[in-house]
Amino acid sequence: MQLLHLALKNVLRSRHRTWVTIAAMAFAGCIMIFYASLLQGWLRSMERNAVDMETGELQIHAPGFRQDPDLYNVIVDAKSVIKQASAAGFICAGRLLGSGLAAADENSTGVSIRGIDPAADDLVTRLHDHVQAGRWLSQKENNGVVIGSKLATILAVRPGSELVLVGQAADGSMANDLYTVRGVLKSVSQEVDRGGLFMTAAAFRAFFVLPAGVHEIVLRRTLRSEPLTVATARLRALFPDLEVKNWRQLQPTLARLLDLSNVSLIILLLITYAAVGMLTLNAMLMGVFERIPEFGVMKALGFSGSRLFGLIVLETVAQVAIGATLALVTGVPLSLYFSVHPLDFSFLLRGSSTIAGIAFEPQWYCEVTRYSVILPVLFLFGAALTAIIYPAVKAAMIRPVAAIHHR
Amino acid sequence: MQDAPIVQLEKVSKIYQQGQVEVKAVDNFDLTVRAGEFSVLCGPSGSGKTTILNLIGALDAPSSGRVWLEGQNLAELNRGRLSRLRRDRIGFVFQSYNLIPVLTAFENAEFVLSLQNVPAAERRKRVMAVLREVGMADYVDRRPDELSGGQQQRIAIARAVVSEPAIVLADEPTANVDSEAADTILDLMTMLNREKGVTFLFSTHDQRVMDRARRLIRLRDGRLEADENQDR
Repeated sequence: MQLLHLALKNVLRSRHRTWVTIAAMAFAGCIMIFYASLLQGWLRSMERNAVDMETGELQIHAPGFRQDPDLYNVIVDAKSVIKQASAAGFICAGRLLGSGLAAADENSTGVSIRGIDPAADDLVTRLHDHVQAGRWLSQKENNGVVIGSKLATILAVRPGSELVLVGQAADGSMANDLYTVRGVLKSVSQEVDRGGLFMTAAAFRAFFVLPAGVHEIVLRRTLRSEPLTVATARLRALFPDLEVKNWRQLQPTLARLLDLSNVSLIILLLITYAAVGMLTLNAMLMGVFERIPEFGVMKALGFSGSRLFGLIVLETVAQVAIGATLALVTGVPLSLYFSVHPLDFSFLLRGSSTIAGIAFEPQWYCEVTRYSVILPVLFLFGAALTAIIYPAVKAAMIRPVAAIHHR
Repeated sequence: MQDAPIVQLEKVSKIYQQGQVEVKAVDNFDLTVRAGEFSVLCGPSGSGKTTILNLIGALDAPSSGRVWLEGQNLAELNRGRLSRLRRDRIGFVFQSYNLIPVLTAFENAEFVLSLQNVPAAERRKRVMAVLREVGMADYVDRRPDELSGGQQQRIAIARAVVSEPAIVLADEPTANVDSEAADTILDLMTMLNREKGVTFLFSTHDQRVMDRARRLIRLRDGRLEADENQDR
């Protein structure tokens, strides 16, 4: 108690020294909270772009469809599957998948055609709010298509342009029709960017002469807290005759890349933490070393080495507690502000782009989580207490006669 | 009957290593200080005065020889016991006052009693009594940087004597104060010695301090040059 009393007097009365140290800690803590929130937001946006944009969290296919995407290999009783999955707590949308050749003026290229129900798909993925030019699909306009950004460049088309689609219909006939480009997507993934062509399910059925069934059912959990593996197992048990996979199984490379990004960002975070930790360390070391003569006098008067060690540690704890509180008071609101108002890097990156198959937005949002707040504070305590051990031990062991005359 | 010795030094030497050179600060030095003495170690700079005070005060250890304080051989005590010995039996007055900057005058004077776990009420009583004796009762809430050099040294004296130690070691106590403050400090120490029986051992080359001493221990090159009793 007496030691705590003395520690508090030292902290509160040495205003200059205390506030320099506390300011360094608060600044470091604030930066760490903001940076961790920003990285958390960036990672989450990467995952969202990879998952929510197109793949969805889970998918159901007819057996063998993924190995051999045959137009005829459909989930026949799709309505029943969707009904059961919805009852089990999933939001679902059916999709039709085919391929063909798109041409506009002198340009032509192979395309991956997706027939979707815009109303249902909008609830599962976010493609609808990722349109760069023009508008997203409408049930009312069956001859309108939305295409990937690079495909638009290859075909030299823009919203309002016409393109011809040619393919092999399910009845064996040659399918061909004229469509109007309704919208061009922002960058989604390499596959969608270069060859993605979206039309309504009705238009797809008419083009490919495929009256029933769907090739793919895309799902999202209503309860996000349910682990993905648990949701997958639950769905598999519900549809043992169909192929159920989650996005990590559907895109293992992407999943690994995200895991790797997570690890590399943690390393980056630690490096940043170490850098700001040095700032704290320096302030604390200076604070202790300039007091060596004072410690010498205290020891000469009978203050034991262990008490001196305890005093320095208690002073540090008090300073970190104040510093951490200030870091929270400044860092959390700052991060919350940037969770609504993004950092805009449009001046560096025009529109969204794709890196390693994942879409990137030039706007970065913070995401304030337990980890982005608690970890920096714990790190601050850890760094300060680790940093103080050496000078505290040195002060505790120093001979009073050397300390009193220390310059 | 003569008082029992408080301090005894027996063939004490202290050698410092300065680079490749060995410097003998104290050379084969014997000394006995008895209770109630008002003694001065004097001599030119480098004659070993401060080193002897440091050895007696258990702030440093001799290279050879033995130091006893109240019959205890300091070489036989571990760090903890030396620390307690300094707390309970020795008072220090330093040349540069060395008050703890964040503590008030009262808290500085109270510091050793706090370490001894003396109850707060008794601490207050004893500290205030000593502060009145040194003429600093009106400055209890001032911090060292709000006090003059002479006032700081009076607080340092209060801190040294409040726990009623066996001996007060004062290293050049008048070196950093003006002559008026020096006289006040010396009056104070003389009074504490005469009226309270506090044993003082000074190191100094200030003639005013030497003039007040009842025993003058002259040093040269770490050796005893003369040990004179002065009638006062």
